[in-house]
Amino acid sequence: MTQTDSSADSQMLLAVPTKAARKAAASTVAALLSRTDCADIVRVGIPRALLYYRYGVLWTTFFEQLGREVVVSDISDKDTFDAGERISVDECCLASKLYLGHVQSLIGACDAVFVPSLANKGHRKGFCTKYQSLPDLVANTFYDRELRIVSLLVNETEEKIDEKSAFIALGQRFGVSAADAKRAYRAAFSAQQRADRVAARAQERLMARLDQERKHAQDQKPDRDRTVEQAPASAPRSGAPSMEPPIDGQLVAARPSQVRHEAPLAILLVAHPYVAHDPFVNGGVVDVLESMGASVLYADQTDHGKALHESFEFSETLPWIVNRELVGSVTLLHAHVDGIVLVSAFPCGPDSMTNDAVARCIQGKPILSLIVDAQSGTAGLETRIESFIDILRYQQRGGYLHG
Amino acid sequence: MADDEQSGASSDLAASIADTEGGTGCGTKGDARGDVLMADAEGDLGGTPIADTEGDSSAADGEKGGIGLDDGRQGGASFASGGRRESREDAVGSVRDGDADVRNARIWLQLDKLRPPKLVEPRKRKKKDRHARTRVAFFRYSYYDIAFKYFVEQVLDADFVSLPEPTKRTLERGTLNSNDFVCAPFKHILGDFIDALESGADVIVQFAGPCRLGYYGELQESILRDMGYEFEMLNFATLTGKPLADYIGVCKKKVNPDLSVPHGVRGMLAVFKMIECLDEANDYYLANAGFEVEAGSFDRALSAYHGAMRAAVTERDIADAQRNGLEAMKALPTAKPVDPVRVGIVGEYFTAADATSNLGVERKLLTMGVELHRMLNMTNRNLRYNEKNLRAGISDYVKFDMGPTSSMTIAAAKRYVDEGFDGVVHLKSSGCTPEIDCVPVLQRISREASVPMLFLSYDSQTSDTGLDTRLEAFYDMIARRKKVLL
Repeated sequence: MTQTDSSADSQMLLAVPTKAARKAAASTVAALLSRTDCADIVRVGIPRALLYYRYGVLWTTFFEQLGREVVVSDISDKDTFDAGERISVDECCLASKLYLGHVQSLIGACDAVFVPSLANKGHRKGFCTKYQSLPDLVANTFYDRELRIVSLLVNETEEKIDEKSAFIALGQRFGVSAADAKRAYRAAFSAQQRADRVAARAQERLMARLDQERKHAQDQKPDRDRTVEQAPASAPRSGAPSMEPPIDGQLVAARPSQVRHEAPLAILLVAHPYVAHDPFVNGGVVDVLESMGASVLYADQTDHGKALHESFEFSETLPWIVNRELVGSVTLLHAHVDGIVLVSAFPCGPDSMTNDAVARCIQGKPILSLIVDAQSGTAGLETRIESFIDILRYQQRGGYLHG
Repeated sequence: MADDEQSGASSDLAASIADTEGGTGCGTKGDARGDVLMADAEGDLGGTPIADTEGDSSAADGEKGGIGLDDGRQGGASFASGGRRESREDAVGSVRDGDADVRNARIWLQLDKLRPPKLVEPRKRKKKDRHARTRVAFFRYSYYDIAFKYFVEQVLDADFVSLPEPTKRTLERGTLNSNDFVCAPFKHILGDFIDALESGADVIVQFAGPCRLGYYGELQESILRDMGYEFEMLNFATLTGKPLADYIGVCKKKVNPDLSVPHGVRGMLAVFKMIECLDEANDYYLANAGFEVEAGSFDRALSAYHGAMRAAVTERDIADAQRNGLEAMKALPTAKPVDPVRVGIVGEYFTAADATSNLGVERKLLTMGVELHRMLNMTNRNLRYNEKNLRAGISDYVKFDMGPTSSMTIAAAKRYVDEGFDGVVHLKSSGCTPEIDCVPVLQRISREASVPMLFLSYDSQTSDTGLDTRLEAFYDMIARRKKVLL
């Protein structure tokens, strides 16, 4: 009896430490697992909406560097929007509804959807609260569906978390070492930088070409006056071309075919990236403009740093970084464009406080301000753009005021 | 879901009731945003928008009908989780047909550069008489004008320009000179500033704040200057993140060069104390005024109390006014049942707390005999605010800070639901992005706890009668539920 007791005791004594050890091991594993809670995610879904148009390269490259497959949702269409509208609060902005539609389309196509919370990148470099609340908005909208969300927080002013540390921490949750996560972020960051720079350079080249063409056209202006002169009404102008016969003659001789050509029209499209580069949202405004012979410059493809810096000249307290870059871009490119088109998706909070102010305070060029809603045709849009282009052409030919 | 149909009519208050019991609730939702859209054509802010592209108003018209219907369907569809998706499904196909794609197009032709490309044009300051006292005005915000007055008189040592009750014209002019899609508080405040400047104010004050509020001041200054008003703007948003010395410097420069700093600091503490007192008294009023025996007795007591507070000069005056005011209210006879109908009010900072903006929704509910609670006030949102800790309590629902008052809205709603309230009313200005994003969370809380919630969205066109109907329907529903559940 006593023997069995003691043997049981000894067994207990042996068992206790192993149990404790097992427990400790288990908790360590649990802790490790919770720190690497995304390690099992193979396919990461990214909705092709909102800030994808600004950070798409960064996000995609980052997850690819982590060895994950990235699934970007399809290009927006009416079905995506309708699906998003059905599950959205009806007061949400067009872009937000579309975003939820994209998220829904990713359900089942990936292991988790990447929905970051972006609050700000420093003082006066904030994002619309929509970007801040997206993960929670998505989680609560789809709370009864099987949807896994991967998120991170960028908030430099209150939480002191910048983009870099947020991504490195996220990388580690995917089961990657800190060094590898850092490397992945660095690669992703420079890929995004490169993409932005390429776009900015291309735009600068286009702008230089347009400037040159405009100059040519201006040099030829006397010549055009002469063609106009054939109409009886413009007789009094006949003196002008004869004042500069050599230049005139040279140009006409060099490029006779250009004589009747109109000067190029450079239009600056001022819109959030998800409006400017998503034809579904902007109703094909770019195509319409180009079909009318205008060259489109994008306000979001100016060098971001320069534009941001410039925007402080316009406003001291404007809180949104994207709107800041757009405004800065307008003042930077103002001299190089013939007209400005502001496009806003209904009802955009930040735009409601900037677009009218831009139109009122930045003077000297005709401005067309459009507010777009869910698309179902471009007839209305075309008419409006057409009349705007007519104004610009008329202006170019001498215009209302300087004719 | 036959209820849905009634809402397609052109009612002017966007509201929907989320109820958890399938089809039993009544959900109504109309909308005024269609109307607002059209108001734009003439509402230019200086500049010369000479051409408003033709066919605009007809486009907006078509849109309006579409939206009203759409909202009606969706409002109705937000009752029950079961039937929710299908009912929205059939709404969409019919509604979107024939939509105009461009709601609003406008051309601005200001071809001469009459100003530098700056929001607020730099200008030479008018030399002012150093010995004249400056007249300072704030915008209207609930009963906090009492604290603003104390701040101006005791801290800045200047004259306070008291604004009379707002008129219809106040909001009209605020709206006319604002963008249509800007949140309603912007329009209210712009109207208030116009009133203030016409009442003789030299300096108007605007706060710093999150979301769009931090930008209100600069944009309003720009608009008012372009309207031709001459004034100084004490815009605290330009000072965020800067040391106290800068605050004092700006106050000295714009308001009172002889500002006494020690006196000012002491006055500031008294202002904070006063705000806490005002909110405490208001909490008592909200909880009990619905059960007053003599009609109007609480309102009289509250306004006498506000009068005493308004006259306060020292800390002692504040404490006395507080004691007397609370005693007076507590002495009033009430007929409060053991288990009264209790409603919690949540929502956006300005609209939820300001009776002018929410068309006196609290007074209306009190008249129906309801005990009201509202966590959102300056004490809880500004003086004792801890976003992280507030959010910790609602971590089941949200993980991130969703916006300026989002955590408080959700935390308050959760608390009311947990404490067995009969209903929750959510107030916001239409187009308030952060509060719109709270709605799905609130709907989820409502559904899980089976507590009805009423969602009200205000814009500058919202009318009183539409609100009455909705509140009565909501009250009837929660009162009936209470009886059935007992």
